[in-house]
Amino acid sequence: MSAALQAQNVSVSLGGNRVLNDVSLALQPGWTVIVGPNGAGKSTLLRGLAGLQPLEAGRVLLRGKPLTAWSVRERAQQIAWLAQQGSATGELTVRQIVQLGRLPKLGLFAEPDARDQALVQLAMVAAECDAWPHRRLHELSGGERQRVLLARALAVDAPLLLLDEPTTHLDPPHQVALVRLFKRLARDRTVVSVLHDVPLALQANRLVVMQAGRIVSEGSVDDPAVHASLTAVFDHAIRIERFGDRFMALPNLD
Amino acid sequence: MKRLCLIWLALLCVPLDALAEIRLRDDRGATLVLAQTPQRIVTLLPSLTESVCALGGCDRLVGTDRFSNSPARVLSLPKLGGLEDAQIERIVSMKPDVVLAGPSARVIDRLESLGLKVLVLESKTHADVKRTLHALGQLLDSPAAADAVWARIESAMSDATRRVPTAMRGKRVYFEVDATPYAAGAGSFIGETLARLGVANIIAPELGPFPRLNPEFVVKARPDIIIAAQSNLADMPKRPGWNALAALQQHRSCGFDVEHYELLIRPGPRMGEAALLLAECLAKLPERR
Amino acid sequence: MSEAEHRARRHLAIGLCALTLLLALAGLAAGSEGWSISQTLALLNGPDGSLVVGQIRAPRTLGAWLTGALLGLAGAVAQGLFRNPLADPYLLGSASGAVLGVVLVLAATMLTGHGISLATADTIARIGLVGAAFAGALLGVTLTLALARGAHETTRLLLAGVVVGVLLGAVIDMVTTVAPDALRGKQAFLLGSTGFLGWGSCGLMAAGVAMALPLAWRLSRMLDALTLGEESAMSLGLALPRLRMAMVAALALATGMAVSQAGLIAFVGLVSPHLVRRFAPAAHGFTLVASAATGGVLLLAADVLARSLVAPQELPVGVLTAVLGGGYLLWLLHRRKIS
Repeated sequence: MSAALQAQNVSVSLGGNRVLNDVSLALQPGWTVIVGPNGAGKSTLLRGLAGLQPLEAGRVLLRGKPLTAWSVRERAQQIAWLAQQGSATGELTVRQIVQLGRLPKLGLFAEPDARDQALVQLAMVAAECDAWPHRRLHELSGGERQRVLLARALAVDAPLLLLDEPTTHLDPPHQVALVRLFKRLARDRTVVSVLHDVPLALQANRLVVMQAGRIVSEGSVDDPAVHASLTAVFDHAIRIERFGDRFMALPNLD
Repeated sequence: MKRLCLIWLALLCVPLDALAEIRLRDDRGATLVLAQTPQRIVTLLPSLTESVCALGGCDRLVGTDRFSNSPARVLSLPKLGGLEDAQIERIVSMKPDVVLAGPSARVIDRLESLGLKVLVLESKTHADVKRTLHALGQLLDSPAAADAVWARIESAMSDATRRVPTAMRGKRVYFEVDATPYAAGAGSFIGETLARLGVANIIAPELGPFPRLNPEFVVKARPDIIIAAQSNLADMPKRPGWNALAALQQHRSCGFDVEHYELLIRPGPRMGEAALLLAECLAKLPERR
Repeated sequence: MSEAEHRARRHLAIGLCALTLLLALAGLAAGSEGWSISQTLALLNGPDGSLVVGQIRAPRTLGAWLTGALLGLAGAVAQGLFRNPLADPYLLGSASGAVLGVVLVLAATMLTGHGISLATADTIARIGLVGAAFAGALLGVTLTLALARGAHETTRLLLAGVVVGVLLGAVIDMVTTVAPDALRGKQAFLLGSTGFLGWGSCGLMAAGVAMALPLAWRLSRMLDALTLGEESAMSLGLALPRLRMAMVAALALATGMAVSQAGLIAFVGLVSPHLVRRFAPAAHGFTLVASAATGGVLLLAADVLARSLVAPQELPVGVLTAVLGGGYLLWLLHRRKIS
């Protein structure tokens, strides 16, 4: 299967520091998680793939065409993005925010039709924020706010979902619901998320292990080589164990 | 013999230099004491500059504010800023014996705290101008000059009054001081001059010397004569409703250029000239049709 | 939209309409005798009626509303664009540009011989205060955009606005030092005045509203998307630099038009969106239009009070907007409701 989104020899410098160093990555369908220690360049890579980060060198291809060859609107219909820091402000209600996810399709002027409304509703249900559609953002807790912003990204209904730390502020039941959601979406879309949480990351289909601006290892979540890299980049502070047909990460107290 | 001795003793008891001492009360109520008449004077108000020069003290001026431009010889003096932004350092460096200022000068406290003597004089009415002239006459140790200047003003006023045609007497005047609009009321020195010339003011004394008006008031008041700066007068017909004023339509108005307008609005020794200027204009106005 | 939001909007709309009508009638009755219906009726029956009420009070009342509407709209756009509840319409150099234009016109004759020729001075003086203020406001915003190299980044735009304000302020001070006669006119302009708004001014401002309001309203969804953050808004397919430029244009047009007619009136642009948010929080499509209407009511109320309280004298309208608007902000701070 061809990769819908790929980075080719991408380098990025921020404030004089090399954050990404000649990184190449072809994203496969399914759910991929990018993991690594702080400062590895995970978010920068994700933002570069989404077209939100200017590149110093290299390029990103979306369906074989460079990102720059796509119009901003077409790109937005292909790639849905969730930012890391929720910097949302303002007076909009939950529903109005999630409805913003239809902007790539509607543009600034068209009114949402029945299908748009249905997609908005589905997104809110999937992200578990459909119970209070008329509350305003500033009335919500951190976790509730995160679910609303996630629903906004889901409402775009794009084949590619790029999510930067989607589980921030979420407590375990909601984290688990999210993992189930991603696995479901991964059946017919490409979902890429940056995650700090290694146990959650191990529930994905593929892992991309980064350190110091480079990809150290990449492959299926079952791959022992990937496991080895993962424990190595975290200085062997974790241990990966098999648990039935899945994997678990434990703190290594030896 | 005894009487002679007593006189001698009395004379000896009086310190001689106290005779030269000058004691003045300014408009703040503060008392200013100077050992002798000042030789170096700084003025921060154009009317005070003019007054000092009219009293023969022009040679003693070492600096003025930026707006002082009369008489011509003060133009070459150092300019020390305006009321709001006087150059304190420069003023202090000139070592004046006294600084003359209007009451709204922010610098007064600052200058006094730096050890300078400041005399605050304000002239809002004719009586104020007379008082100021006499205070300055005392300061300059030539009280007779003050009388002479005031006498000149008075005679010019009388002369001006005679020149106003009888047809103009009792006519109602609107004197605009600023385009906001601010007007000169009957209680201001301008208003008093106009009253002296025999014309009435559309602004009653209760409104104060320089009220800020609702423009509608002027339109409803239908003044017979309008007096203003030439540039403002030219713009007046454009104001909503003002082109209906007969005074503007029939050019029964006096517009003054910058130089002459300044003369009109300074409460100083040239008030007599100002009155003559106004009388001249009033005399040239067309009769009411 | 929930039932509650619908209801809030309806109430606000009705309230604003009612207030506008009441204040408009009050404006017709407020004159140099203070506020008096009997005097107004007597006036209308007399010969002066059409002059005083029709040519002075009516256009001034409408003009005050239109100025307030322009400022309210501009304030809502500024707060949405910069995602800052303390933004006001004067942020991008429009205020200092307008003051510079005014000061140049006032000083034109005095500046000959100090670097500008008689012909230039004559041209400047002929443009008039209104034209110069408007041109100056647009120039100030253009300078800001040039300094920020386009509307790519909000922070850069804000910083450029501050720099332009300081730079133009220095130029203004230089001009007034050379031509001190311009100082009084500058002070009057800074305070703002609705005193001479006639039908001509109303026509110009109505045109301003007709251009700026639809433009901003059509693009209001962009402001909604911006509440998610700039990157998220970009990821939704919005060509942000171009859209921001269009919004800045609407802002400059509305502010320039208001300022050229009535001077720098404070607080109306800042407070109007807050008032709308307090009573009917909504997405920007509604907020922009409601802020315009609220600004109109606010300035009109201030104007009526300015005329009525010390008649036949007048208070500066800027002082009353500061009291009304500033007072409300103080109250908000006290309740800590500024979000």
